[in-house]
Amino acid sequence: MGAELAPFEFKQAVSILKSTGKKANCLDNLRGTISKISKESIFHHTCQYFLKEHVLGYTNDFAQWAGESLEERALAERLSNIDPFSFKSITGTRKELLRVINDYIKDFPEPRCALSGDEFYFNETVTLTFPVGIKVRNLVEFLVALRNVDPSCIYFHFYEARVRLGRGIDDFSSWFGNTLKRKNLAKKIRTIDPFMHNIDGIRTHIIEIIEENLMAEMEGLKT
Amino acid sequence: MINLYKYIVPPRDLLLIYRLCEKLKGKSFLHVNSTREGGGVAEILQRIIPLLKDLEIDARWEVVEGNKRFFDITKRIHNGLQGNKENITEEMWAYHYEVNRTNARQIDFNADAVLIHDPQPLPLIGFRKNRKNKQWLWRCHIDVSNPRPEIWNRVRKYVESYNAAIFSVAKFSKALPVDEFFITPSIDPLSDKNRDLSEQEISSVMKKFKIPLDKPIILQVSRFDKFKDPIGVIKAYRMVKKYNDCRLILAGSAAIDDPEGEEILNKVKDFAGNDPDVHILLLKPFSDKEINALQRVAVVVLQKSLKEGFGLTVSEAMWKEKPVIGGAVGGIPLQIIHGVTGFLVYSVDGAAFRIRQFLNNPDMALRMGKKGREYVKNNFLITRQIRDYLSVWYAKESKGKSVLEL
Repeated sequence: MGAELAPFEFKQAVSILKSTGKKANCLDNLRGTISKISKESIFHHTCQYFLKEHVLGYTNDFAQWAGESLEERALAERLSNIDPFSFKSITGTRKELLRVINDYIKDFPEPRCALSGDEFYFNETVTLTFPVGIKVRNLVEFLVALRNVDPSCIYFHFYEARVRLGRGIDDFSSWFGNTLKRKNLAKKIRTIDPFMHNIDGIRTHIIEIIEENLMAEMEGLKT
Repeated sequence: MINLYKYIVPPRDLLLIYRLCEKLKGKSFLHVNSTREGGGVAEILQRIIPLLKDLEIDARWEVVEGNKRFFDITKRIHNGLQGNKENITEEMWAYHYEVNRTNARQIDFNADAVLIHDPQPLPLIGFRKNRKNKQWLWRCHIDVSNPRPEIWNRVRKYVESYNAAIFSVAKFSKALPVDEFFITPSIDPLSDKNRDLSEQEISSVMKKFKIPLDKPIILQVSRFDKFKDPIGVIKAYRMVKKYNDCRLILAGSAAIDDPEGEEILNKVKDFAGNDPDVHILLLKPFSDKEINALQRVAVVVLQKSLKEGFGLTVSEAMWKEKPVIGGAVGGIPLQIIHGVTGFLVYSVDGAAFRIRQFLNNPDMALRMGKKGREYVKNNFLITRQIRDYLSVWYAKESKGKSVLEL
């Protein structure tokens, strides 16, 4: 008998919103505050954007504010293209946000300020993580669990794991590759664009990829 | 008792509540506000306290008592925090403090966490005895986005002595030297105000109020308060009436801590005149089933506030799958995703226009109503609020960590 594989334990993350007490009413203020605000706040406004139920027009809160409150669509597009998961730490994301804003200010005049009441509020979160009581040992069990777990489980393993826990990759592909030794499956999961879907969209994509993988295996095809 | 929510609320909320209660089991949690009846705070405390007890948290609820003068002053403070110009003299501030001192002698503050609701009992912080390992939290339910500075500065001095402040909406946050959390309020899906009602229950309420169901009903449920803009609602109804025959119901109850209510009610009655299709209902305290029935017969529900703490009547209506129209103030934009779960409006004309849209597009009204219920399920039910209160308490006890593993 071979050694028993380590099960995958589904965990969930619930975040409680907290104020930093800082706000910005114009692009210059925003830039100044981004340069010194807490890492938790940058994390919240970029990575935790995906916890929102309604996917908005852009891919992070800074872009959303630039587009909707300052009406600087070009800046909003540039900020939307920042991938916070491509950096090893929040410092990288912070530098990239500042670089994009600085470049924009060089090319364009400082935009008007946001209207009163429409300022950017810098928030952060306290995140509580806990196991949901589901452990799976193979791909079929994983599939059944994935169909039923709360969206915040998917957020925790697919998004949050990449940055806050310093792993760089998501928990799902990590388990597929390292424990189940399904390297191709892991690779396919890593090709999912995390910005182009809401959490339920991510769930659907992962389910499709696993089903395709299992079908191919049943049909005797190499996966 | 908490198990009754199992098939109604998102499982994640219950799971976290159970986990947190394992950590906080047996500890005591005191809530203090200024009224046992009327208004959203009293209403939710009536539900939260028994649920916390059921979860083996030693929860208590105390109410500060005061006379007309006290509540007149606290109403001025309330209005000033909402941006109204108010004259509050040094003598009034001193009286506010003294009434709290008298109340402090009667209240047993021996609890692991003390949650003080709104400005009326805010000075109680000055009378806390044992600071060690006790969390004193101030819960602000008011729209303090643009307070009168002279009033906020007085309030702020008290707030700075707390361990943390809790606001309903991020836009209400202030630069404070204490932690500030955001917790949205909630509704209880099993309360008389929100549970399913039989046809018979609904029709008996409508008979009691003598309101026929012969025309589409537009409804606003709220205290008779100028910030709820009841006159604006009547103006919007009159604009709609030119195109769609309908009835308007303005229903609200009086709260003991709101001395202005009667004056506003009389103004509203005068403005409505003798229109037989306008029904102004002054509801008795605990008229929850009546409000539930009114919301269920309404075709469109309004909350056309000019200032708003949160505006839970919006969530109540959404839970009943009603299309909603709300002023874009306070917590209303958190509940109404414009064009998805209802419409946000900025004027009387806007309200009239959106009412007409709903009356003439029942499919759209139905679609938004269904989306609204789902949105409330995920965000504004009582279990989520209990979860958040316990989370803040636990986070404060965990001394500033940003990730807590349970």
